[in-house]
Amino acid sequence: MKRAEPNRLVSLMVDNLIWLFVLGAFIAFSLLSDRFLSPYNLGNILLRSAAFGMLVLSQAYTFITGNFDLSVESSLGLTAMFAALMLVTSEAGGLGWQLNPLLVILLMLVLGGLIGLFNGVLITKVGVNNLLVTIAMLFVLRGATYGISPGTSISFFPKEFTWLGGGTLARVVTDNGNFVLSVAGIFVILAFLVGHIHTRYTQFGRNMYAVGADADAARAAGINVDRVVIIVYIIAGVCAAFAGLLQAGRLNAATPTMGANLIFAVHGAAIIGGMSIYGGRGNIIGAFGGVLLWSILDTGLNIMGVSPFWIDVSRGLLLLFAVLLDALRVRYQHSAQMRLALAETTVGLHDREQSSG
Amino acid sequence: MAETRALARSDMTLLDMRGISKSYPGVQALQDADFSVRRGEIHGLVGKNGAGKSTLMGVLMGIRAADSGTIAIEGETLHHASPQIMIDAGISYVPQHINLLNTLTVAENILVGNLPKNRFGLVDWQAVNDDSQARLSRLGLKLDVRQPVEGLSVAERTMLAIAKALFNDARLIILDEPTAALSRVDIDLLFGFVRAQQEQGVAFIYISHHLEEVFEICDRVTVMRDGQIVGTRAISEINVADLIHMMVGGGVKEYGRESAAGHEVVFEVQDLSRRGAYEHVSFVLRRGEVIGISGLQGSGADELAQGLFGLERMGVGEVTIAGEVYRPGSPKSAFEAGVAYLPQDRHRYGLVQLRSVRENVTYSVLDRLVGRLGVLMRQDEQAITEEYIDKLGIVTPGPEQRTLLLSGGNQQKVVFAKLAATQPAVLILHEPSQGVDVQAKVDIFNIINDLSRQGVAIMIISSEVRELIGLCDRILVMYEGRITNEFSRAADDMLPEDILLAIEGGPGDADA
Ligand SMILES: Nc1ncnc2c1ncn2[C@@H]1O[C@H](COP(=O)(O)OP(=O)(O)OP(=O)(O)O)[C@@H](O)[C@H]1O
Ligand SMILES: [Mg+2]
Repeated sequence: MKRAEPNRLVSLMVDNLIWLFVLGAFIAFSLLSDRFLSPYNLGNILLRSAAFGMLVLSQAYTFITGNFDLSVESSLGLTAMFAALMLVTSEAGGLGWQLNPLLVILLMLVLGGLIGLFNGVLITKVGVNNLLVTIAMLFVLRGATYGISPGTSISFFPKEFTWLGGGTLARVVTDNGNFVLSVAGIFVILAFLVGHIHTRYTQFGRNMYAVGADADAARAAGINVDRVVIIVYIIAGVCAAFAGLLQAGRLNAATPTMGANLIFAVHGAAIIGGMSIYGGRGNIIGAFGGVLLWSILDTGLNIMGVSPFWIDVSRGLLLLFAVLLDALRVRYQHSAQMRLALAETTVGLHDREQSSG
Repeated sequence: MAETRALARSDMTLLDMRGISKSYPGVQALQDADFSVRRGEIHGLVGKNGAGKSTLMGVLMGIRAADSGTIAIEGETLHHASPQIMIDAGISYVPQHINLLNTLTVAENILVGNLPKNRFGLVDWQAVNDDSQARLSRLGLKLDVRQPVEGLSVAERTMLAIAKALFNDARLIILDEPTAALSRVDIDLLFGFVRAQQEQGVAFIYISHHLEEVFEICDRVTVMRDGQIVGTRAISEINVADLIHMMVGGGVKEYGRESAAGHEVVFEVQDLSRRGAYEHVSFVLRRGEVIGISGLQGSGADELAQGLFGLERMGVGEVTIAGEVYRPGSPKSAFEAGVAYLPQDRHRYGLVQLRSVRENVTYSVLDRLVGRLGVLMRQDEQAITEEYIDKLGIVTPGPEQRTLLLSGGNQQKVVFAKLAATQPAVLILHEPSQGVDVQAKVDIFNIINDLSRQGVAIMIISSEVRELIGLCDRILVMYEGRITNEFSRAADDMLPEDILLAIEGGPGDADA
């Protein structure tokens, strides 16, 4: 008698559930509100979540290796503030250097990368727990952002600087309003595409999955695990800097609170997109689905005039749902199911461990 | 066979380890050990649990640093040992607890770190799958390379790990208890390709507690005891009894089986079926009875055990414990109904590795150890732990040692102690003697006997037919999901040949 084969189709569906949700949410809001399908709103969905998307991308990278970086939201704020200071006149709150915008963009990406490098080295070489390191950095970087800011927001950036975040590629005029093809929207799509190719089709990307699946086994296969993790943190830092650039560009301003309290929503979107904080699972395209779902829900509820509190509640529920989904997904895999079941049982071990610990 | 072996074997020394010592706090794991392997030979390495086999191999692979001693490969002394240096020198290690990339596919596991790329430098997935499929079929291994490794059985994972070592162009492959989780059919398959590789000039170090297998496949055998090398013998110059004598330093304690089976039915399974796993399974288990269930991989025996413990759906049919309907929704409810289970993959599932031996043994019985004011009675706890350390001969510096630091076999004994301490009504054991040495096996059999004498009904799922014959009152054979044969001590028909034949699906029926 053959062993029961895991059902391929079910497996495929579970892995790509996110797209069903995206489709479902899209259809639901189209039916609930006629303004949702308006050209203006459609163009807006991606633009508004561009910076958010870059943060999700940063976490998708760290998740694949079984890590995470809570400090990216603060990196977003710090890099944006750092750039603002160097861009504008002293009357507008800056340092009055008015550096070349392209140079400033380069500097902020380098700053993001350095923050990532610092995180990565502490975690791998010094061996500090990633939760502790990145929580500490979350506070350090946010504090530094307030410290260097003039206390208010800084605005009036040069065009070259705001192009990526706030620029328009094309505008289609319809009877129903204008459809705006934003630079930021296209940029985010491209970034995820590059991320997808990088993680799925390059040796480095596959090494990331190997590290996340089992770091010891990866090491045994000759993979330099520390190096992979450090580079992933650098990439995450650069993504966060891009997020800062997009956000500052769209608002044409930098405030010390930019990005604050985003991180859990970011993790929620990544997880509902199929990533797992335990590493080695999920893919970048799925994470993009997570971004879409998150922003469809946001704009949809907004358009329907739902109070912000209820929007928060719905975000929380979505997050909870994402976590449940993650647990189910893991459960679906036979051996993983054994692990759970046995841990909590071969005689009630799990329970006691938790209650006594 | 003997001739081809003699041909393949050359007297050139491939590996030479001299004067290796290694101590851990409280343990001299290796003491002045000399060990050498010739080109193209299969060299057995045996010894009791905790003798130092894995530690010696760890030193060889550069995973553990020796306190003193030298390693030479083909006459060249190595000044450093690191896993990478050793792999480059053509030495591969298939450890006792296999590390694979569980969430990734078989194909990726095989080619990890070195995936085929197209001319743009991007991973060519078609080639990844084709290439790995081709490599596997050259070894006669049939696995779906697109399947994630977490979907594979223990046997399949073991074979995959060995295959990976073979792909690394190794000249010397260390197999640390490779057959512990394999059925006889898979063992034959494995031995087949080990021999094929040997004919290509590859040498193997073969660590096992299955002495028959050592005699079956090895050319020479080295015995370790308490961190020291007792000696090396050509397999043709030694017999099982002498080998055991060298390992234990004396005779093995015997165990005598007296049936303790009563009349009262404790556990009854009636017409139990689960699609794709087993069909129309019926049997009873009496108080104090020990039954064995054996079958090939995929015969449904494994699934039956898991179903009965609520690890998987049990299926349709009726099961009662002491007359009461038993339907475990989860392992936890099974445990509460008085069923305990020793899983096959117990290193992973059965232990809290970071905690002490004492805590692991008594976790599950803590409620019984709580005194009046809810305070734990440490002395009783200590007594239970020491009782089992003593009974099972667990090699540990003391009850407070973290289980992580015990040798593989001793970790298993700790799991066994934990289970025995819970005093269940029905005990389901999955390959209970896997990975434990000859002496410990006897100790475990004695514990099984003790428990059955106390009235525990015991069901053992095992492919070790000879052990089952010694232990059980009855043996049920499963084939293709059904119980096809029953052998019993009472009917005096528990003959190894007949049972093995039945396991392979041969002719015969229950009453013949
Ligand atoms: N890291 C460690 N710290 C402390 N003691 C250790 C450590 N590693 C091994 N030991 C001890 O060294 C001794 C040798 O262990 P080893 O794992 O080599 O035994 P083994 O021969 O492989 O046994 P088995 O057949 O059970 O696998 C054991 O007593 C073990 O408890
Ligand atoms: Mg060992």
